[in-house]
Amino acid sequence: MRKYTLKDKRLSIISRIVLILIWIVLSHLIDNEVIFPTINSTINSLIDIVKDPKFIIIISYSLMKGLIGFFISLIIAVIMGILSSIFKIVYHIMAPIINFLSSVPTMAIIILALIWLNNEIVPMFVGFIMVFPILYETVLKGILNIDNKIIEMAQVYDVDRLIIVKDIYLPSIFINLSHVFESALGLNLKMVIAGEVLAQPKYGIGSSLQLQKMYLNTSGVFAWIIIILLIVKMIQCLLSKMKHILGANKWKG
Amino acid sequence: MEYKAIDIVKYYGDLKVLDGITMDFQPNKTTCILGPSGCGKTTFLNIIAGLTDMDSGEIIGFENQYISYVFQEDRLIPWKNVKENIGFVLKGKMVESKIEATIDRYLKLVNLEEYKYYYPKELSGGMRQRISILRAFAYPSNVLIMDEPFKSLDINNKQIVMDFFKELMAKKNRTCIMVTHDMEEAFTLGDRIVILTDKPARVKEIIEV
Repeated sequence: MRKYTLKDKRLSIISRIVLILIWIVLSHLIDNEVIFPTINSTINSLIDIVKDPKFIIIISYSLMKGLIGFFISLIIAVIMGILSSIFKIVYHIMAPIINFLSSVPTMAIIILALIWLNNEIVPMFVGFIMVFPILYETVLKGILNIDNKIIEMAQVYDVDRLIIVKDIYLPSIFINLSHVFESALGLNLKMVIAGEVLAQPKYGIGSSLQLQKMYLNTSGVFAWIIIILLIVKMIQCLLSKMKHILGANKWKG
Repeated sequence: MEYKAIDIVKYYGDLKVLDGITMDFQPNKTTCILGPSGCGKTTFLNIIAGLTDMDSGEIIGFENQYISYVFQEDRLIPWKNVKENIGFVLKGKMVESKIEATIDRYLKLVNLEEYKYYYPKELSGGMRQRISILRAFAYPSNVLIMDEPFKSLDINNKQIVMDFFKELMAKKNRTCIMVTHDMEEAFTLGDRIVILTDKPARVKEIIEV
């Protein structure tokens, strides 16, 4: 197992080096900073962006929007998922809504959001619309997939309903959510940034990306992409540390 | 305390499963109900435990009582360790400090203290079923119902778990009702054996061991 982990790490480093080499070769072949910037100009743009006093504010605004939107989706998904599992009527009301949200193209939703909502709220709304169906279905699956035999055992032992909810239903929901948490959070951030590109709020990674594009500063666009990748990586590290500290996977053996 | 089942009749649709089953259960003894597979033994146990309704008949002594149940499978909660699994059924039955003390006492009774923080995935099938039996004994009940608890175990584990059950019964007496289709199990563990006929099940013979 350890051997494979080391091997995987080595392969991952090699693949990154290969990508950087392709970047260097392509930028030399194309030799046009607007179409394909070099590593040097991208690094220079990255330094300029990071040095900008507004950098932290821009990132904070995007992250805040992402997190607020995500937690609103999470809370509503948990509530609606629980209600859907209890009341058939809620389940049947939610089914076409989820189907609609899952199948309508993202751009159509962003355009509608631009018409209806304030520019500052559009990115959050777009993130919510994309992530909510995933979280809702995960919560519902977490409840419906609970082993009935365990519930029967709890009933035979006359365990209080509140304890059954707290010790069986809620952990099952959160175990299921933990499987999609990372990807849903990442998707949410991507959608928030996409929403910012079009809605142009005062501060936001998406707004900055759009600004770089307007000035045909492709190296700036590349630099922002690198920053986004680093942010996503940091979030992933933070989540896996949290999982480790909370011992979330200990029971899996 | 008197435990009785009188003239129990149960239908599933038009199919008669139990046909006037009457038996009494001796306090602090093990009654084994022996019968062919699918004759309605589990249905009878579920009626006693209040999990299934009967069509007619009377159950005496089991009402408003805590009942421990050992199933064919261990039915342990995968994300809870041994201590938490036993503690889960004790919640609300005693105060928190007594729960911890009870778990420790029972684990010590059968020398399983070292497994206190093990999760079900980390235990063998036999060990998980032992924990399930221990959970049933730790539960503050007078009656213990067992539905073919050794069925899913291989021959070696079966003997170990049967010995484990005998050890616990000797130390902590319960009125035990066990269903099995294995004669050897019934004669090894039972104080009284009730033999049922095939569907619809009736009492064929009662043997005092």
